[in-house]
Amino acid sequence: MEYLIATFIQINLSTALQVVLLGFIGGVLSGFIGSGGAFFMTPGMMNLGVNGVVAVASNITHKFGKAMVGSHKHGKAGNVDKKLAVYILGTAIIGIQIAVAINSFLFKGGSGHGVAKGAGANLYISLVFAAILSVVALSMLKDVLGSSKSGSTDSGPSRKIADAMAKIKLPPVIYFKVADITVSLWVLMPIGIATGYLAGTIGVGGFIGVPAMIYVLGVPTAVAAGTELYLAMFMGAYGALSYAFQGFVDIRLTMLMYLGSLIGIYLGVYGVKVVNEKYIRMVTSVIILLCVISRAIAIPMYLRQLGLIDIDPAYDIYFNMTSKFFLFFSGISGCLLILINVIRAYFQRRGIQKTLRVVKSTAE
Amino acid sequence: MPIVFITSPPHGMGRELARNLAENTGWPQYSREQLVEEAHAQGIKLSRLETSIIKSPIISEQLAWEKERYLSFVTDMLCGKIENKNLIYSGRAAHLLFPGVRNILRVGLGVAMEMRIDTASRQLGLSHEKAQDYLEALDEDIEKWIHYVHREQANDLSHYDLFLNLGNLSLASASVLLHKTAKLQDFQVSDKNLKHLEDLHLAARARLHLARDKETAGLNLGVRARDKVVTVTYMPRQESAATSISQALNSLEGCRENLCTMAETNILYIQEHFDPKMDNLSQVTQLAKRWGAAVELIRLVPKGEEAEDLIEDIRPEPLSDNHKNTATYTGGVEDDGPDINTDDGGLSETLEELVAMGRSAGGSTVVGSSREVIYAVKENNNYSLVILGNLFLSKGPQASTRLTRELGLTLHDKLKTPVINITELKSEFLFGKAQTFKLIMFSLILLCIYSLVFNFQKPILNVIGGDLHEQWKWAAAIGITVFVPLVAYIYGTVSGLLLKLIDID
Repeated sequence: MEYLIATFIQINLSTALQVVLLGFIGGVLSGFIGSGGAFFMTPGMMNLGVNGVVAVASNITHKFGKAMVGSHKHGKAGNVDKKLAVYILGTAIIGIQIAVAINSFLFKGGSGHGVAKGAGANLYISLVFAAILSVVALSMLKDVLGSSKSGSTDSGPSRKIADAMAKIKLPPVIYFKVADITVSLWVLMPIGIATGYLAGTIGVGGFIGVPAMIYVLGVPTAVAAGTELYLAMFMGAYGALSYAFQGFVDIRLTMLMYLGSLIGIYLGVYGVKVVNEKYIRMVTSVIILLCVISRAIAIPMYLRQLGLIDIDPAYDIYFNMTSKFFLFFSGISGCLLILINVIRAYFQRRGIQKTLRVVKSTAE
Repeated sequence: MPIVFITSPPHGMGRELARNLAENTGWPQYSREQLVEEAHAQGIKLSRLETSIIKSPIISEQLAWEKERYLSFVTDMLCGKIENKNLIYSGRAAHLLFPGVRNILRVGLGVAMEMRIDTASRQLGLSHEKAQDYLEALDEDIEKWIHYVHREQANDLSHYDLFLNLGNLSLASASVLLHKTAKLQDFQVSDKNLKHLEDLHLAARARLHLARDKETAGLNLGVRARDKVVTVTYMPRQESAATSISQALNSLEGCRENLCTMAETNILYIQEHFDPKMDNLSQVTQLAKRWGAAVELIRLVPKGEEAEDLIEDIRPEPLSDNHKNTATYTGGVEDDGPDINTDDGGLSETLEELVAMGRSAGGSTVVGSSREVIYAVKENNNYSLVILGNLFLSKGPQASTRLTRELGLTLHDKLKTPVINITELKSEFLFGKAQTFKLIMFSLILLCIYSLVFNFQKPILNVIGGDLHEQWKWAAAIGITVFVPLVAYIYGTVSGLLLKLIDID
């Protein structure tokens, strides 16, 4: 079992500060975007030398505690549909199990020795990450550019798919009071499995869960975000338990991430209140795309480690550095943009105190 | 002297019954069809709104604005049609109009589908099957309309005062029944009701006025009216429009004063009696300042506890066809009547204080309970927080606590907004001594946990992935799963309190 300890990285002050910074940036982005954050933190930790599985495991564990705090806040605001969460959770567990099994197999059962040990899991995680987030970012960007072209000020989500799904009356059909939707269980199941699988594979569940709830089920945006966090709490607990049982959770990383992320989330959420929605989506999609590029750059390195392509190992450092540059550039620039707006709004808000009173001179 | 609102399904004889009743009583009658014609004449694109809600499924700020404009138009038109406190209106979801206005007779009609199909196929020249498909689709669309426009369920019978089954009743009998019911004391329109209608009418006219004005058209505004004073809240990004709003309202007939408050959001504060000097109000305004919010006040007077003058107002008139009271509703532009509210529970004074602070979002008095509060606010529901102050005071402390809690649960359920008690305000949103103590204690605990973990990394690694883990896999996994959220909770509390300390929340 000694090899598992060797899987965990040495943490010195510099590494610790970098993990805290990753947590902070991830937290700001997560609070601002409404879901995820892991899309930055998982590859960020991998760039610090953390093994892919350990990065995902530590992140899903981190997400568990974070979701617990967040869903409590959302619950107070009436944004959590517990019944909907329970139904999705039932199927999401199947998705998580599939993800944990694949990751464990690729890490332990996959071929390779030394550096190559774990390269299979790294490659798999990177590929899923790049594929899923490319689709999310490009759709988001298309949506923003489309509405800019039409000059529309409408920012509401389309209900076309949700209305079509609502017509599927295959029993059992269930009514969810808080979300105020009626939907067939057979529509819910694939969403749950996909959410669970992605949460377990790359630690990113909300990126699929939230849009799916909004666009496919027709759940109001605030309720979708609140319910996803509630769901994430249980999925995170289950994922954390599963990965902790396998011995992949590095609680030191989890605790360091908390130091940055929980403050970051508060600032990100504050940013959402004060920044234009189109701007939010534009910033989000660009940040995600840069993260995808960062992960894609690291893929040849994993392919070489697996012996699938022939590249000089000396190039690994360049792949790693370039990947790291893109990741930190996307995160830091996105985070700075958000923070500038937050600070500006903070001072502006303190100055808002104005009532204009006009009394007609000719009283009736 | 009643106002009768009749709701029937499409081709469900509602208009025929309204006409019959009007012929028997001489009361003015108006239908949705006339309303739609008038809307087109005034440039309100009703069909676009209907299509948006029913067919093109985009929920947006623009659609919400169109909906608000439509409801304001309906309110304006119907208030204008009231003559001698009388009106019969028949149309889609008529029973849900003028929410919160008491003494209106709200009637629903039940008609068998077969009967409706016969009527539709006769009137539209359709085959039986086509008429059935047409009616089923129409019913579904109307259900969506009611859900979006009125935020109610179409099949909720609790909004009706009377539901008639026209399968068993002839039109003539139904009309007689309605006539007799309308003469009951419970459905006589009082001066108090008229005053409520005046406020609704003025707010509706103000919204339409602002929507027609070039400078203010399309702005997302919160509009309230009380005693001929119109209060408008606007977003900070619309700051340049503030003067335009005031100028536009200056030419609004029946508005003697207008207040424009800039706010990012609203806080609703409900209490039985207000006092501008009370500590509770200063806590609410402190929070409003931090959030950049305007404060709306509702003075909630429980049923049966209305002041004597209020009871006087709603005291019904004797049963008689000879209308003694011939006062005509004129939309609030007539001369001032007798001052009805001599004691308004400190509401006016407190509103004055809020205006001086630049935090007023208007206020009103509501007689009743949660249902009436919801009716009073649901059209302007953009609250970030609802605060319940001292309520149900005459019931004793325990009953007051229980009733306040029940009111809070209902409001939370219906308005989907956080609801808290005034006593919780400080601990939840403001920073005091208790919060300072909590911050220090939790920071110390956190420091201990982090010191332990990072000073004893080897044994920790042994537990999470070493030999100890191998021996005690389940114990290690459960330990991690319990330990991590505990750290998150403690650190989350510390960071939350720190940010609250510097007013970021």
